[in-house]
Amino acid sequence: MATNTIRQTAQGVPPRSPSRRRGRAEARAALLFLLPAVLLVLVFRIIPLFWGFGLSLTSATATTPGEFIGWGNYLRALDDPNFRASIANAGVVLLAVPLFVTIPMVLAILIDQGVPGRAFFRSVYFLPVVLSSVIIGSIFSIVLGFNGQLNGALKLLGIPGVDWLGQSATALPVTLVIQSWSTFGMGVLIFLAGLSTVPKDMVEAARLEGAKMWQIWWHIIIPELRPVIEFSTVITTIGLLTSMFGLIYVLTGGGPGTATTVPEYLIWAAQGRLNQPAYAAALSIILFVCTGILAWLQIRIMSRNANF
Amino acid sequence: MHRLKLITAVAAVLLTSPALAQEITVWDVNVDEPSHATYYAGAKAAFEAAHPGATLTFQSQPDAEYYTLLGTAFASKTGPDVIWANGGAQAKSLVGGLIPLDDKLPDLISKLVGKSAFTAPDGKLYFIPTTLQGHVVYYNKTLYKAAGLDPNKPPATWAEVTKMCDALKATKVACFMMANKEGFEAEFFLSEMANQSLTAQQQADWLTGKLHWSDAPIKAILQAWVDTAKAGWYQEGGNSQTMFMDEFTLFSQGGAGNVWGLLSNVAHWKVFEKDMGVDNVGVYPMPSPTVAADQHEGAPGVPLDGGVGYGVNKDSPNIDLAVDAVKILASPEVLANLVKDSGVVPANTLVDTSGIDSPGLKQIMGWLADRAVPTTHANSSAAELDEWHRQSQLLLNGDTTVDAAAAALDKIQAQAKPQ
Repeated sequence: MATNTIRQTAQGVPPRSPSRRRGRAEARAALLFLLPAVLLVLVFRIIPLFWGFGLSLTSATATTPGEFIGWGNYLRALDDPNFRASIANAGVVLLAVPLFVTIPMVLAILIDQGVPGRAFFRSVYFLPVVLSSVIIGSIFSIVLGFNGQLNGALKLLGIPGVDWLGQSATALPVTLVIQSWSTFGMGVLIFLAGLSTVPKDMVEAARLEGAKMWQIWWHIIIPELRPVIEFSTVITTIGLLTSMFGLIYVLTGGGPGTATTVPEYLIWAAQGRLNQPAYAAALSIILFVCTGILAWLQIRIMSRNANF
Repeated sequence: MHRLKLITAVAAVLLTSPALAQEITVWDVNVDEPSHATYYAGAKAAFEAAHPGATLTFQSQPDAEYYTLLGTAFASKTGPDVIWANGGAQAKSLVGGLIPLDDKLPDLISKLVGKSAFTAPDGKLYFIPTTLQGHVVYYNKTLYKAAGLDPNKPPATWAEVTKMCDALKATKVACFMMANKEGFEAEFFLSEMANQSLTAQQQADWLTGKLHWSDAPIKAILQAWVDTAKAGWYQEGGNSQTMFMDEFTLFSQGGAGNVWGLLSNVAHWKVFEKDMGVDNVGVYPMPSPTVAADQHEGAPGVPLDGGVGYGVNKDSPNIDLAVDAVKILASPEVLANLVKDSGVVPANTLVDTSGIDSPGLKQIMGWLADRAVPTTHANSSAAELDEWHRQSQLLLNGDTTVDAAAAALDKIQAQAKPQ
């Protein structure tokens, strides 16, 4: 045995144990299983990302390849008042993230605490999630139109009608409320899943000790939900920055002026209305970098908290 | 074995015969439109009769995303052989992917009007217009009567328009429909106001970018946009009202006394005569607040240009056949079907329209002969129109001033039409 080992070492061949061979076989199998997903991400995400970056450095139009112009499109974006307005709007949208996280969390806790009709509420809350943003946009365009049902109801109360979607002051807040309504059901579902991991005996013990409901929420449930809150914050932030196009397109068309124009809408306008794919690509890269930095920061905070 | 050889030989002949393997594809947003069915069927039959073995296929495309899809198809060189487009900024932005048609179809082109909407800055024609598009005002005669106005004497001067609006307002009826959610109403307004207030030279300067948004004649139009809103000409909520989805239906239902409408395709004489009754709808050219030196008070012009047209993809493997398909689509025999069924005004002067019995169309055809003026918004760049959409909404809400809007538009114009 000792002789064999010395011979293998002398020949430069490391000894192979059965467990090491099994480990390599497992790694190969894992790679094989991962391959379809890796290929999909590579072909439909990573390669287009680099292709888009290359395009953003040119003056290409829909019909001409254009020339290499370096950072020209990025400098143009900095000088574009519509882009600056869209970034400001994105800032307002991000300010709404706490509401987008808190509302489903509170509703999920209420359902988990056993409010009457919890099964009904759980279904009703989830219903808007299955509707497409185009349908939701169409419904609210009618309801919130100047001659729509909401103004009709206000009129009955003697309150003058408001052009909810046509006024700069109201268009973005109203759009955010609708976005919140259409997505909070998914948040409720995520928090309900998280609540199932909160130790019931701890809550029960606190109750027996005479803790009030808000004390139980504040000192037990919410701290236990911390990882879920952080996860929800990350996906809500990314969702708000990259998935509001459909709703805005149908509800307001980005207007009035630039009141509801967010970067992703401007990207579409540059490509779809102005035939400027290179400029659209530059805006896309900027949005990607901003979203990436935000997600990285949030994940970093999550990881740090997980280490406590 | 012999049968197999025979089949192989026939297949080889079929595959190597260019005529038999050729399919010409056309992208068009109106393919599913019932009123266009006879037109497409006629074009297909004429093309396939002229080119045995070749086929002409119309592929329906969504209206809202059409130019996005077309841009993507151009970029990946997977576009159709024949391309449909609206005249104006969108068509002109596509010319890099098309072949000029001046030398290909000189006889046909000599019979066409409305070519400037499809003529690139290099002076070449890249689309063959099939229809004319223009802007006139349609009005509701019943509402005019109720307001004490003569339904057979529409306004011909700005003073008369103002008087008419005051009369309608007194009966709690909006004077003009306003639907500016997409900014299209502002486009129409620009052309309708410029039709009489700009000289021919100023219209030419506008096309080349020498006339600016902050120059007096254009700034006066922006001011008129604000002033008419302040004067209460429009129904409330105009910035959240869609044009093609809602506005024209609401007008047909009596939502306002007047609407800025079109000559062809949608929101035109045939649609309104059908929806409101021939006797209840009237038409007139829109007067402007000021009258340019070479225009005539009381005889406003009609902004007129090519409506839609067909071009040929420069990457098409069958360019000659594609050119012939365009020729057939614009031929008087085939186009006559479209005129009869959907009421478009044809760009080919050889199309016979005498059989159409419509008082509205007769009036329009009369104006086209001597009152046609350029369509100002069609001679604007896509970037300028995009910004005008935004600024018009802000002006309507009182969120910006005319000076600030004109300055913002000047900046875009300077980028789009560098001098």
